[in-house]
Amino acid sequence: MVRVKSRYLLCEINVTERKYLLQLDDRAVAAAVREAVGRIHGDYGEALCNIRFSVKYLNAHTGIVFLRFSKRFYKLLWSALPFLTCVKTRGQTIPCFLKCLHVGGTIQTCQKFLIKYNTQQLHRMLPNCKNEEEKEHVRKAIMNCSQAWGRKKDDDDEVRSEEDEEE
Amino acid sequence: MRNTDEKEETSVYRRVVLKNSSPYHYMRVCLVVDDQRIRPSVVELKNFIITGLRTLHGQAGAAINFDVLKYEEDSLTAILRIYSRGLVKLWSSLTLISSYENHNCAFRVNQVSPYLLALTGNSRDLQLD
Amino acid sequence: DATQHRSEELTQTPRHLLVCERSSFQDEKNRLSTQVEMLHFNYKVSVLLPECSSAPSQLDSVLNSFTSFYLIKNLPVHELLDQHFLQTAVFQGCVYALSYRTRIDEDNCVALMPNGRLLLSLDKDSFELLGFEGKPSRFNHRVKSRFVVSVDLTSSCMAPGGSGYLRLVSGLKSRLNLQMDFLLLHHPGGGASLQSLLSRYASSEHRPTISQCRLSDLSCPVLESCDPSDAHSLLEWLGAVDADISWDSSCDFVSTLVCPEPKMTLSSALRVSVCGFLTPQDIQRLISELRCYLEQSRLGSWVSLTVHGFVDSPVSWGANEHGVLKGGENLYTLLMHHDGTYHLHLATGAYDSCPP
Repeated sequence: MVRVKSRYLLCEINVTERKYLLQLDDRAVAAAVREAVGRIHGDYGEALCNIRFSVKYLNAHTGIVFLRFSKRFYKLLWSALPFLTCVKTRGQTIPCFLKCLHVGGTIQTCQKFLIKYNTQQLHRMLPNCKNEEEKEHVRKAIMNCSQAWGRKKDDDDEVRSEEDEEE
Repeated sequence: MRNTDEKEETSVYRRVVLKNSSPYHYMRVCLVVDDQRIRPSVVELKNFIITGLRTLHGQAGAAINFDVLKYEEDSLTAILRIYSRGLVKLWSSLTLISSYENHNCAFRVNQVSPYLLALTGNSRDLQLD
Repeated sequence: DATQHRSEELTQTPRHLLVCERSSFQDEKNRLSTQVEMLHFNYKVSVLLPECSSAPSQLDSVLNSFTSFYLIKNLPVHELLDQHFLQTAVFQGCVYALSYRTRIDEDNCVALMPNGRLLLSLDKDSFELLGFEGKPSRFNHRVKSRFVVSVDLTSSCMAPGGSGYLRLVSGLKSRLNLQMDFLLLHHPGGGASLQSLLSRYASSEHRPTISQCRLSDLSCPVLESCDPSDAHSLLEWLGAVDADISWDSSCDFVSTLVCPEPKMTLSSALRVSVCGFLTPQDIQRLISELRCYLEQSRLGSWVSLTVHGFVDSPVSWGANEHGVLKGGENLYTLLMHHDGTYHLHLATGAYDSCPP
C-alpha cells in the first residue's frame, strides 16, 4: 500500500493577551495561514494550500496548533508562516505570530514531542510558583503528564490505527 | 554540480568540464498585445513582468532579480537575464500573464538558453525565401 | 537559506555542459582541427577583432570565398539514395545535407553527413511505417517516441542493389513518402557534382550572408588570465557584444549587467559574422587566416571566433545524437592569443552528450 506522505507542523500561537486565544478557531487559523501563503507565494502557493492542507488540532487554552501539509512542498508553505501576523475571527483581528516547535511525519511523533515540551514548560514553571498550593498544582500536572506518557506507550497500536484512518 | 577532469599532458593543455554551471539563463521573449498601438517602455515592461511574478509567486516571486538586457520598443522583443534558479518561476509567470492595461496580451518565449551567445545564432531564424 | 525552503522543482534547470580547453597551436597534439571538423552543420560564425577598424583584405577574401549552398524544395528523401547521386556526389568528396525548417522536437529530420552516413530522426509513426532498423532516441528511450535510423551509405551492405539498400529505398518510396526541403552542399565539387539532383527539383543557390559592424569605445575584460571559473562571464560578454547589448545601462532597475572586472576600453573593434549553411572546411580556413592576422598584429592582441551549430541537426559533434529540449544549443568559442595559445569553450544543451 502506498502511503500519502504528510508533514505535521506543531506550532504555538503567540498572542499579546491570553483571552484572545480562546476566541481562535481552526477555520480562522487555516484562513490566516492561507492568506499568508498567498501573500508570500502568490497564486501558486495558494493552490498548493488546497492540496492536503488542514488544521488538524487547535488547543485554544495553550495555543498549540497542528498544521498538516503535503510532504512534497511543505517547505515552501512553511517559509510563509513567519509572515503570518494576525488571525481574523468573528470580525476581530487578533495580532499574533506562529512559532514552529516541531516538524513531524505523523501526528503521533508530534504528540510525543508536545507532551515532552509541555512537561519541560511545567518544570520551568515550578520554581516561579508563589505558594505551596500552586506548587502542588503544577507537581500534579507533571505527574499526570508522565502517567499519560506511560499510557501512551501501551496504546501505541491504537494510535497507529487512528493514524491509518487519516491517510 | 561541478565536475572537473584535468589532464596535465603538457604545461599548456588543460581541459575542464563544467556541468550545469551557468549562473544565469537568458530568454528572448516577445510581447504580443492585441492593440497594436500599445508600446510599453522598458521600465514599464520590467514592472509589468514583476507584477506577473507577484501574482503567480507572491512577494517571494516579486523579489527575484532579473535584468532586461535589451528591449526593442518597435517589435516588443526583449532579452531577459535571470539567475538559473529563478528561471522556472519567471517562465511560468510569463506564460500566465494575459492582460496589459485591460488589453489581451501574451508573452511568446522564443528562445531560452544558459548561454547568451546562443541567442544570437539560432538556426531557426534562417530565412532563405 | 531561503532557497532551501522552496520546493526543488521550482529551482532546477535543464542540464547543460561547458567544456573549457586551453592549448596551443605549437602543441603538436592539439585537437582543434578535429574538434572543428567534427561539428558538421554550422549555421553561423562570428568573429570579433579588437583594435581593428576595417577587415584586412585577406580576411575579406576568405569570407567571400565561403562555399555557396543550395536549397532544394520538396526533395523526396529516397533521392539521396539515388545510385547516380551516390556515385557522382557522395562517393566523391563530402556531401552535407540537412533538412530545412524541420524541428527535431516535433518533425522528422534528415541529415547526410560528409562521411556518407545518412541519419533519419523519425517520430514513432514514421519509424514504424518505414520498417527499417533503428534505435530509440537516447533522450526518450523510456517512452520510445522518437527513433534514429543511421545508415552508412559507404558500407558494403548498403551497396546499391543490395538487400538493405532496396529495403530502405522501398520503405522511403512506397511506405513512408518522406519529402522535405533540404540545405545541400558539396565539398569540394560545389554545384557541379550535385547538378543532376538540382536540375530535377526546384532549387536555388544561396551565398552565406556576411555582415560587418564597427564598434567603438567598447569596454572589454582584460583577457590575461582566462580561468575556467570566469568562462561564463567571458561568454556572457561575447554574447552581449554579439547581441548589441549596451553596457552603460542608464538605469539599474532595468539591467544590472556590467563588464567583468578588470576591464579596459577598446577604442574600436570589428564584428564580422557569416550566416548560412557553412562547412567545417571553410571555418578551418577562416581560423588559419585569423592566425596569420594575429601573427602580424601587435603583442597581447587576441581574436575570438564563435561557431553556432544547427539547433535542429540530428547530430552535434561527430555522430553524437543531438536534440532540442529547450534550446538545442551546440556552439563553440575559440579565443586565440598572439602567442599561439588558445582557449576553446564548447557548449551543449540538455539533449546532447559531452563535446569531444
